[in-house]
Amino acid sequence: MPYSPVFKDHLAHPRNAGELPNANAIADETNPICCDRLRLSLVVKEGRIEAARYLAYGCPPTLVCGSVLTELISGKTIEEAKQLTRADLLNAIGGLPSRKHHAAALAIETLNSALSSVA
Amino acid sequence: MPARRVYLDNSATTPVDPRVAAAMARAVVEVFGNASSVHGFGQQARAAVDRARREVAALIGARQNEIVFTSGGTEANNLAIRGLCEASAVHGRHIITSAIEHPSVSGVCAELEKRGWEVTRLPVYENGIVRVEDLLASLRPDTVLITIMLANNEIGTLQPTREIGSIVRERRATGQKHLSFHTDAVQATGRLPLNVDELGCDLLTMSGHKLYAPKGVGALYVRRGVRLHGQNVGGHQERERRAGTENVPGIVAFGEAAQLAREEIEQRSRHDRALRDRFEAAVRERITDVVMNGDRERRLGHLSNISFRFIEGEGLLINLDLEGVAVSTGSACSSGTLEPSPVIRALGVDDELARGSIRFSFGKENTEDDVDYAVEVLVRAVERLRALSPLTPVVVT
Repeated sequence: MPYSPVFKDHLAHPRNAGELPNANAIADETNPICCDRLRLSLVVKEGRIEAARYLAYGCPPTLVCGSVLTELISGKTIEEAKQLTRADLLNAIGGLPSRKHHAAALAIETLNSALSSVA
Repeated sequence: MPARRVYLDNSATTPVDPRVAAAMARAVVEVFGNASSVHGFGQQARAAVDRARREVAALIGARQNEIVFTSGGTEANNLAIRGLCEASAVHGRHIITSAIEHPSVSGVCAELEKRGWEVTRLPVYENGIVRVEDLLASLRPDTVLITIMLANNEIGTLQPTREIGSIVRERRATGQKHLSFHTDAVQATGRLPLNVDELGCDLLTMSGHKLYAPKGVGALYVRRGVRLHGQNVGGHQERERRAGTENVPGIVAFGEAAQLAREEIEQRSRHDRALRDRFEAAVRERITDVVMNGDRERRLGHLSNISFRFIEGEGLLINLDLEGVAVSTGSACSSGTLEPSPVIRALGVDDELARGSIRFSFGKENTEDDVDYAVEVLVRAVERLRALSPLTPVVVT
C-alpha cells in the first residue's frame, strides 16, 4: 500500500521535532530487533500535556509516527493520552503497510513509558 | 508528483535507449516468426537472433556460439552455477564464492549447500575486495567452481577477476582439469571494456536492462568446451542449454544495446565518471559525517555508495523520493526486523553505517544539473533527518 498524503507531509515537514529543556516526562525506547528508536519529552502541568517533542531514528514510519503522535497528544490530559491506541495512531497517519505496524507500536510504547514517568 | 525527477538508480535498471526501443518495436511487429521454424518467417527470426548474438558476443570478445540467451541475469547465474555444478558433481562438490555476491549467486550457492555441496565464502575487507591469497588458501582438489562477481552491485568494487582467471588456468594446466570460473558481470557489462580471454573466465553473466535494453533478457557466456546441465529442458534452443522459444524482440533489443554500448563505451564511461566525481566532491564539501564505502580506485565509475551517520538509509531514500530523486539502499526494515545491507556489513563497518548507506548510480541520460539538484535535495534531507535523530551529537556553543 502506498504511503498516504498525511504520511508524506509529516515526513517532509516533521512537527514538534527536538527536545524540551523543561520536560518533566521523558522516555527513550528502542525496538530491540530493528533498532528503531524514539525519544519523547513532555511538559505536563496539572495532569495535562502542555508540550510534546520527539526525536527518532529509523525507517520512515517511525519518523512519521513520532511526528503525528506529538500532534495527537498535545493538549490532552494524561488519562486521555493513555487511551490512545496503535489503531488510533495508524488511522491518523492514513494507514501503514502491515509490515510497518511496528513503528506505531514503538510510538505507543514510548508514550506510555513517558506518561508513567511524569515527575 | 515532484516538480523535477532525477533518476540516480542506474545500477538497479537503466532507461531504455530510444534506438533500442525502436529496434525492438520493429522486431515485435515485423519479426514475429518462431526462430525454430523452417519457413521464411522463422528464418527471418533466426537471422535476427543470430545478429544479436554476434553483437553480444562482440561486446565481451567471445564467439557467437558461446552466448546463451536467457530471461536475465538471475536466470543466467542459476544456469551457470547449477548447470556447471550438476555437470561436474562427479569430479568434486566444492564451490568458492565471495561474501558480497548478488542474491542470484549467493542464493544458488546456499541452495546447493543444502544439497550437500560445500561452499567457501571469501571475505572482503574494508575496501570491499576479495584477496587472491584467501582464494589460493581455499582451493581444494575437489573445487569445481569459483564464482566471484566482476563488480559489486552495491559499492561497485572491482574484484581481481584477471588474477583469478590466471590461477584457474594454472590449476587446470597442472592437472585440476575440472575447475571452472564463473563471474557475474551484470554491473560491469557495457560500463567497462571486457574480454573473456583476458579475464580468463569460463562463464560470464550479463543482463540487458543494465545497459539500456528492456527487462526480460540476459545472456550467459559459456566458453567452448565447458559442460553445463541445462536447467530449462524440453527443447533444442540455445544448443540444448536453455529450452524455450526465443524472446526475439528482447534479444534484438539486447543486441542493439550491446552494439551501442561497444561503440559508445568510452564516452559513456567518461560522462558517468565525471558526474559521479562531481557528486562526491559536492557531498564531501557540504555534508559532514559521511563515509564513502568501498575502494576509492578499484571500482566502477558510475556508482557511489555513501553512509550518512546518525540517519537510516530508508528514511533518507523516501525523503529524496519525495523531491523526485531516485536512489537505492541495501538495507530494508520490514515487520520490525532490520536487514542491514550484507555487502556493507561485510566491509566490517558498524551497524549504524550499514543502516545509513545509500547507492547513487549515474547513467548516460543524467546531466550536471541533475547532479546539482540531487545534491541540494540531499543536503536538505540529511539536515532534516539529523535534526530528528537522537543519535546526532548535540553541539554545545
